[in-house]
Parts: sequence; structure tokens; C-alpha cells
Amino acid sequence: MKAAWANTEPNARTLLGGLAVVALLAFILSLAIGPVGLGRGLPGEAGALIFREIRLPRAVLGALVGASLGLSGAALQGYLRNPLAEPSLVGVSGGAALGAVLTIHLGLSAAVALTLPLGALLGAAVAMLAVVALAGKHGGPVTLILAGLAVSSLATALVSLALNVSQNPFAMVEMVFWLMGSLADRSLPQVWLAAPFMLAGIALLLLLGRALDALSLGEDAARSLGIDIARTRTMVVAGTALSVGAATAVTGIIGFVGLIVPHALRPLAGHRPGLLLPASMLGGAIMLLLADIALRLVQPWVELRIGVLTALLGAPFFVWLVLKTRSELAP
Amino acid sequence: MLRRSLAILGLLAVAVLCVAPARAADAPRRIVSLDLCTDQLLVELVPRDRIAAVTHLAADPTVSAIPEQARDIPITRGGAEDVLRLDPDLILAGPFGVRGTVDLLQRLGRRVVIVPQHQQLSGVREAVQTVAEAVGEPARGAALIADFDRRLAALPRRQTGLEPTAIIYQIGGSVSGSHSLADAALAAAGFRNGATGYRLTRGGQVPLELLVADPPDLLVLSSAPNEYRTALADNLRHPVIATLRREHASIGLPWRYWLCGTPHIVDVVEKLAAVRAGIEARAR
Repeated sequence: MKAAWANTEPNARTLLGGLAVVALLAFILSLAIGPVGLGRGLPGEAGALIFREIRLPRAVLGALVGASLGLSGAALQGYLRNPLAEPSLVGVSGGAALGAVLTIHLGLSAAVALTLPLGALLGAAVAMLAVVALAGKHGGPVTLILAGLAVSSLATALVSLALNVSQNPFAMVEMVFWLMGSLADRSLPQVWLAAPFMLAGIALLLLLGRALDALSLGEDAARSLGIDIARTRTMVVAGTALSVGAATAVTGIIGFVGLIVPHALRPLAGHRPGLLLPASMLGGAIMLLLADIALRLVQPWVELRIGVLTALLGAPFFVWLVLKTRSELAP
Repeated sequence: MLRRSLAILGLLAVAVLCVAPARAADAPRRIVSLDLCTDQLLVELVPRDRIAAVTHLAADPTVSAIPEQARDIPITRGGAEDVLRLDPDLILAGPFGVRGTVDLLQRLGRRVVIVPQHQQLSGVREAVQTVAEAVGEPARGAALIADFDRRLAALPRRQTGLEPTAIIYQIGGSVSGSHSLADAALAAAGFRNGATGYRLTRGGQVPLELLVADPPDLLVLSSAPNEYRTALADNLRHPVIATLRREHASIGLPWRYWLCGTPHIVDVVEKLAAVRAGIEARAR
């Protein structure tokens, strides 16, 4: 199967190439930044340990989680034909967090390998299906957001309930981890745990290019172009659940990346969902890596979480989108 | 005949009613504790039959130093209503977290003693003394304090000018700072608290990276990696902690021993002092 961008015109290749270069630079910069400072004569062994065991997993997760969030945002917006669709807003991230919390607190994640990402992606898939079912086939942007709000509120309430029932003395602090996300002090084993699922989800979503291009003409037109709508839906749900589920299992909920990135890149991608998919994947990686770098430049003094930073960037953007949508929907 | 027996019974009842309050004032017989730290002092100072209830934490082996001794004591959930149900003649509370309940109980005329929890070793003596006097067991309290002081005095002396660093590393990457009981235990054992040497986050955490770059002479872990089912313990499961433990001195000291200022903190100090003596011997 050909990748979505293999036979696109030169300016598409320029866009993706440029984004890839920026993503690579952000990745390298992420490796170079930390509380210890840039190559400030660390004893070789400790320096190597810091680089390999602390910064590498952080940079890899920043790139993969950002790519997952940006790409699923673009895929959800394309499939639902709804500019407000985004993993955390529609409750997918909340569902994933609930799945992860349940596997941890039932002791499954410590006992059986892989139950943590599996639990999270199951939660994500259930939340996703619930939202699609609630919003219905012809629900507008508002219906979808309401359904998403219902599902994500329920999911986070259940996360809180699970943490409190477990009589964990750290329940309140752990709540903050799940709701506001963090890339701090992640480890290589966590990368191995989550990366295969994220990569599988990313691959599934990237295959959707042609289907989403066709869907932008409407469902009937897409069907006449030979697009299998049910199969597309399965792939969107599975791809989002795999990538966002595994991402949330190791970093908690990081919001708004999937909202900002596709909107920022849409004009550059010529409003074609098929091109927007790989562009948003790279854009998401860039955004999360840069946000994490910004965070670490101030972190020793202020304890800011990455989910807080993305929300600070995302909420005004969301308001702007609401205003835009309102004027477009106005009679 | 019947009338006379009734009269005697009545007199007896009056006599009991008159005597009982006097005795209760001397030594309370239905004591309720609302704080993990007062739970532990209470259990060690008075016989079981005079304890009406303690908190559920007293029997929780992850936070209590004496879970077995507290196992079968009834539990209070802590609200004023639950406490009144037990009709206590003495309520012990800590200085934190139960202000509202304590105010309400005092307004309703119950005797409440707030036990101070100063974050230093001398605070242990004060806490033991306060509880011992309130429950009417001053001799037992004095014996506990004497044993505490004897064990502190018997600690191995420092042989060199060496003052090794130690940090107490907890779930979520927090470290115990100065003005904590853990800090006092480190000082008593001859360690310098290394936490002040790092640039900590506002939340009091030391980033793993800084810990690896500049490890302390002794890494004290306050819980085992899988002791709690929480994502926050990811930092204890991080591979670099295993590497640090292989290459530097480390010890697991469950925080149940130093969470409260009870005489059990001396168990911690003794263990730490033995480790310090070992570090000194190797340095010489």
C-alpha cells in the first residue's frame, strides 16, 4: 500500500519535508536540554546515563505522543467533518486515562505485561464509540462537543472515584498527573511499552488519506468513489484508540494538541484532509517537543505541567474556533 | 421488699454516677484518637480496654509503625457524629486536618487534647508527655521517653569529621527537606540532608537527572517500587534508580517509621547511624 504522500505534488512534498526537518531539530534540541545543562562537563558515565535513560525516552515520547495527538486530531476532524473534534475534547483521552488507572489500581499492570496500554486503548475505544453513538450520524459540531463533554466528564469522574476507592494516599496528586499530563522522568521501558501501539495507530490513521479526501465531498459522494464507510470508521476508531490510548497510558491526558495543529496546518495543506494527516503528525510532534522544551527551560523554578501549557495555548484557540464556528453557523 | 431493693438500686446508681465522673477525670476510659500519630502513642500508652476507637490508618502496615497492636481496635471514620456515637471521655487529635471536627466537639463539651507534632526529635518527648498526661499514664510515658533517650545516647559516635550526605527519595520524586522529622532523623544519625543541595521544584521534587548527575552518599527510599499501586511511583521503578542503587549506598526505610513523631523514629535513626558508621569505616 502506498503511503498517503507518495504521489503528491511538489509543494506538498516541500511542506512535509520542511515539517520533518523542524521535527528533527526539535527532537535534537529536546535531547540537549535538561536541568543538568548542556554538556557542562559531566562525568562521562553519569552523562551517558542521563542521555540514554532520561532524555532519550522523554524526547521519543514527546515526538510519538505529539504525533499521535496531532494525527488523531486531523483524522477525527476529517472523519467527523467537524472542526472541533479532538482526542481530549471528545473524551478519548479521558477514556484512556480511566482504562490506565483501572489497570494500575487493580494491580494488573504490575502483574501482567502490556495490560497498561491495552487497558488504556480499550478505554479510549469505548469512549470513542460512545461519543460517535451519542452524537449520531448527522449530529452537528455542537452535538459532538456535548457528547464529548458528557463522556470525558464521566471518564474523569470515574478516574477520581477509582483513585479514591483505592485508598491510595497519593490519590489527589495522582489525579493531577492523569488530568494534566507529564513527560517528566519517563523511562525507556515505558517507551517500549507504548511505542508499538502508538506506531500501529499512527500507521492505521495514515492509511485513511484517500478515504478522508473523498469524505470531504460528503458520505454519498465518498461511497460512489468506492470508499467503504464502515471500514473507514473502524480504522478511525482503532487508530485513535491505539495511538491516543497508548500515549495517555504513559503521559496522562495532554489536551488541545489535536485541535491546534490541524487547524494551524490546514491552510498550508490546501484544505485536503489526506495531506493534512501526515502534516499534522509531524506538526503534533513539533508542538509537543517545543512545549516540553519550553517547560524545561523554566521547570526548576516553577512546576508547570505540559498539559497545562498545551491548555494555555489551546483554550484561546478554542475560543477563536467557537467564535468562527458561530459566525459560520449564524443564519 | 421490692420497694426497698429498688431504693438500694437507686442509691447504688446515684453512687456510681457520682463516682464515675471523678474517676474519668483521673484516667479516661473511653478514649478516641483522630490522628495516625496520636493513634500510635495511645496504643502504646494505655491498655486496650480504655481505647474506644482509633483511625483506620493505625492498622495500615504501610503508614503505621504498630499495625499488629492496632489490629482489632474499633475504627472511627472521624466525623463529629461518628465520634459522639462512641461517647468518648477524651479525644486526641493532631494539629492538622480535623479543625472543624475538633471545634464542634469542644463546643459540645467534649474534652479534646491537641497533641503537638513538632518536626524534630525533641517533639517526640513533648508528644509522648502530652498524651501520657492526658490519659493518666505519666509513669508509662516517662518510661517510653527514658528508653528513647537511652537509645539515642547509645548511637555510634562520629569517628571522623566526615559528614556524608543522604536524601530521602519518595514517590513522585519528592525529597524530605529541612524542618521535617526525616531531616531530624538524618541529622541525629550524622548525615547531612542532601536535599538542600539540589535545585528543587516548587513542589519539593528533585528531577531524576540531577540525582544521577550528583548522587548523594546514601539514597534512602521511603517505599518499595511496587508497595503502592500508583502511577506516581514510576520514578521509583525508573531504571536509573536501580543503577544508582547498584553503584552507591542505598537503604529502604519505610516511611511508616518516620511519618509520625513517636519513639519509633529511633529505629530509623539507629539504622541510619549504622550505615553512616559503615560509610565512615570505608572512607578511612
